[in-house]
Amino acid sequence: MNPAEYIFLIIMFVTMIGALITVLSGSLIYAMMGLVVTLFGVAGLYIYLNAPFLAMMQILIYVGAITILIAFAIMLAGPMSKRPKEWTTATKFIASLAVSLISFIVLYKAVIRGFWVKGKVEEVVMTTKDIGRALLDRLTFPFELISLLIVVSIIGAIMLSLLSRRGK
Amino acid sequence: MTGTYIFNNLYIYLFLALFLLCSGILGILYRKTLIGMLISVELIMNGAGLNLVALNRFTSPDNTYGQVFTLFIMGIAAAETAVALGIVILIFRKFGHIEGGKLKEMKD
Repeated sequence: MNPAEYIFLIIMFVTMIGALITVLSGSLIYAMMGLVVTLFGVAGLYIYLNAPFLAMMQILIYVGAITILIAFAIMLAGPMSKRPKEWTTATKFIASLAVSLISFIVLYKAVIRGFWVKGKVEEVVMTTKDIGRALLDRLTFPFELISLLIVVSIIGAIMLSLLSRRGK
Repeated sequence: MTGTYIFNNLYIYLFLALFLLCSGILGILYRKTLIGMLISVELIMNGAGLNLVALNRFTSPDNTYGQVFTLFIMGIAAAETAVALGIVILIFRKFGHIEGGKLKEMKD
C-alpha cells in the first residue's frame, strides 16, 4: 500500500471517532472538541478530493469561527455543575439508536445500488481561479443571496440580545 | 493521482458522509441540551458538504459546482449557528436552563 493510503485511512478513522465522541460524550465541551476533530478530518478528506481551497475554508470558517461561537455559548449557558448530564434514559437512547441504524441501512442500500455516472478518468485539477469564476460568473445571484442571509442573521442575533436585555 | 487507490473510490466518501449523517441524527434525537443538538446539526451539514464535493470530483470533474455549493453550505451554517446560539442564550436567560425537553411554554 501507498503511504498516501495509510494517511487516508488514518484520516478516515479519526473522522469517524471524532463523530462518535461528538455524539456520545457526556459533557458539552468534550462534544465540541470531538466536533473540532471531525472538522479537521473532513478538511483532510477535502484535500484528498482535490479541493485544497475548501479545506482551508473548512478550517477557517468551521474550526475558527463556528466552534469558537459554540464554545462561547457553552460558557455563557450556566456553570458546569448546574448543567444537566447528557445521559438520558436507556429507552430513549435505544430508540434513537434504532432510528439512526434504520436510516443508515436504508441509505446505505441507496448508496450502493445508486447509479452514479462515471466521469472522465484523467485528472482535471480545478484551481481556486475556477471556483472564483463559477462563483462570480454563473452563480452570482446565490452568492448575493448568501450575503443577504448573513446580514439578516447578524441583525437577528443583535435584536435577540437587545430584546432579552429590554425584557429584564 | 489516478489509479486504483483507496481514496479514488467514490463509495468510501459516500459511506463516510452517511456515517456523519447518522451520527448527527443520533445526536439530535438523544441529546438533552439545545447546544448539543446544534453540534449534531453541524455534523449533518459536514456530511452534506462531503457528499457534494465527492460527487463533483468523481462524476463530473470538469466543473466546480459541488465545491461552490459546499461554500454556500458553510455560509448557511455560520448564519444558522449565530441565530440559534442567540436563541439559546435568550432561553437560558429566561428559563435558567437549556434543556430541550423541559421547554413547555413558548411565551409567558
